[in-house]
Amino acid sequence: MTSAGRFTPLDLDPYANCVGIEPACRPGAGGFNIWRNTFPAEELPAGGSMVTVGAVPFRFPAADGVRADNIRCRGQLVTLPGTRVDWLYLLGAAERRTEDALTVCYAGGACRRQWLRMSDFWPETDQWFGELLAYRTTVMLYPQHAQDRMAPSIWRQRVPVTVPDGAVGVALPDNPAMHIFALTLLDEEAS
Amino acid sequence: MRVELTGVGGWRHELTGCLHVTLGALLSFHGLDPVEVLGANWEFSHVPGLLRREEYFLPGEHESLLSGLAPYHQVSSRWHEPADAESAWPEVREAVAAGRPVAVAADNFYLPFRPAFADVHTNHLVTVYGFDDEKGEALVADAVPPRFRGPLSLADLSAARGSANQVRHDRDMFFTDNPIGHRWLDIEVGVPRPAFDQEFIRGVTASNAKRFRRRGATGYVGLTGQQAFLAAIADRLAAGLGDAVDEAFVVAGPVLAMTALHARWLASAAARFSCPQLLEAARAVDRVAHHWTAVRIIAAAGRDDLDRAARSLSARAVALASDHERAISLIEDATADLA
Repeated sequence: MTSAGRFTPLDLDPYANCVGIEPACRPGAGGFNIWRNTFPAEELPAGGSMVTVGAVPFRFPAADGVRADNIRCRGQLVTLPGTRVDWLYLLGAAERRTEDALTVCYAGGACRRQWLRMSDFWPETDQWFGELLAYRTTVMLYPQHAQDRMAPSIWRQRVPVTVPDGAVGVALPDNPAMHIFALTLLDEEAS
Repeated sequence: MRVELTGVGGWRHELTGCLHVTLGALLSFHGLDPVEVLGANWEFSHVPGLLRREEYFLPGEHESLLSGLAPYHQVSSRWHEPADAESAWPEVREAVAAGRPVAVAADNFYLPFRPAFADVHTNHLVTVYGFDDEKGEALVADAVPPRFRGPLSLADLSAARGSANQVRHDRDMFFTDNPIGHRWLDIEVGVPRPAFDQEFIRGVTASNAKRFRRRGATGYVGLTGQQAFLAAIADRLAAGLGDAVDEAFVVAGPVLAMTALHARWLASAAARFSCPQLLEAARAVDRVAHHWTAVRIIAAAGRDDLDRAARSLSARAVALASDHERAISLIEDATADLA
């Protein structure tokens, strides 16, 4: 809880379906993209730890290079606790920039679409949707080596929830180019 | 003898690949703005029988690679196919010595500055802008990350240009199994060079819209053809035909690049002529590009579940068509008031 409201970091492990982070010493098992590139774990927060990015706390995924650590968006329904939600904060990146609607689902059965926009993880590529840079590693992993001069990015994005009360779930878009590593809810009116 | 040509730029648009950045480098040498020249055209044209497994593939039938990319300018390109490995470097060297940078096809597997070096075969395109006979080096530029500009041994360049580009493992995808053949390409830039003015913007966008609404005698052409192409890919995926993955990915890449670059072109025009409606149209075109991002990855990630990929692609095609029509309509509205 802060003066700006209450943050609720979620545990996305039950929804994760993609290995995007690996130890640099043994790349090759994962694949953030189809070429099986991954982020080096040594340059990112410890798996399962709490991190703060731009004053927003996140639960960083329990990445070990074997278990899935991010959600490749295929229309999954992420359950929310049912409290007030003004903003969804995400850590994520896309395989080339892209955008799609996600759907906020309410206890009364209603649903409302909001735009989820995500910039490219690819090196030498800046944010396009105004995100905050969360992490940029110095190397990118390939199945047989760690490549220097290739610095991939993870971005912090946020999505407004225009009707904040009673949100019980978020249906992600069916866009496999989008990856989400962490998700935190913000209730702006909590004191 | 040592030659290093100046004026070969390092331009790159983040959603383009070696096709656009290499031709952009050559255009910049001739004093042309890559966005103004390469970003004007926006179309869909694909003839399945002309599909080539190259990173620099451009769908459709064109007189040349560059004139296909930039039909509104007096520019063209010509592929050269050396008779043998011995004549491959002298031909390129002669062109560069005469003051003309050129593009050469190369397999990344043999290029030490590429991440795929000694790992993945592919059919890439780089710029040669100089050489040093004494050191046995070519000067090579490649703005595709990781950006490189500098010397490359002639031995490495020769290996990359002469590669059989064979498939060796499961990451040799899409741009493999197509021998490089030492091919190289140069461009011609003619006159007149159209001014980037309001008349030009209006003419280009009207022509683009007209071509999106035409139907082709062969292949998939225009908006109707685009939807037919996506539907055909989805049908083949649903039928379990995995080669549809390759065709969708290879076509979606350049279409994504062309669409995003056209959005940048429109945004440049909007800024130049203080036209916020054109900026809104540019953003609408970017939304279409973002659909093509999804199409590309739906296909690429679909090999393990073709039926799922078919359903995703079918739904995506509906949204893409709607947003594409809206983008064309916004462009037409915005350009109607230009002088």
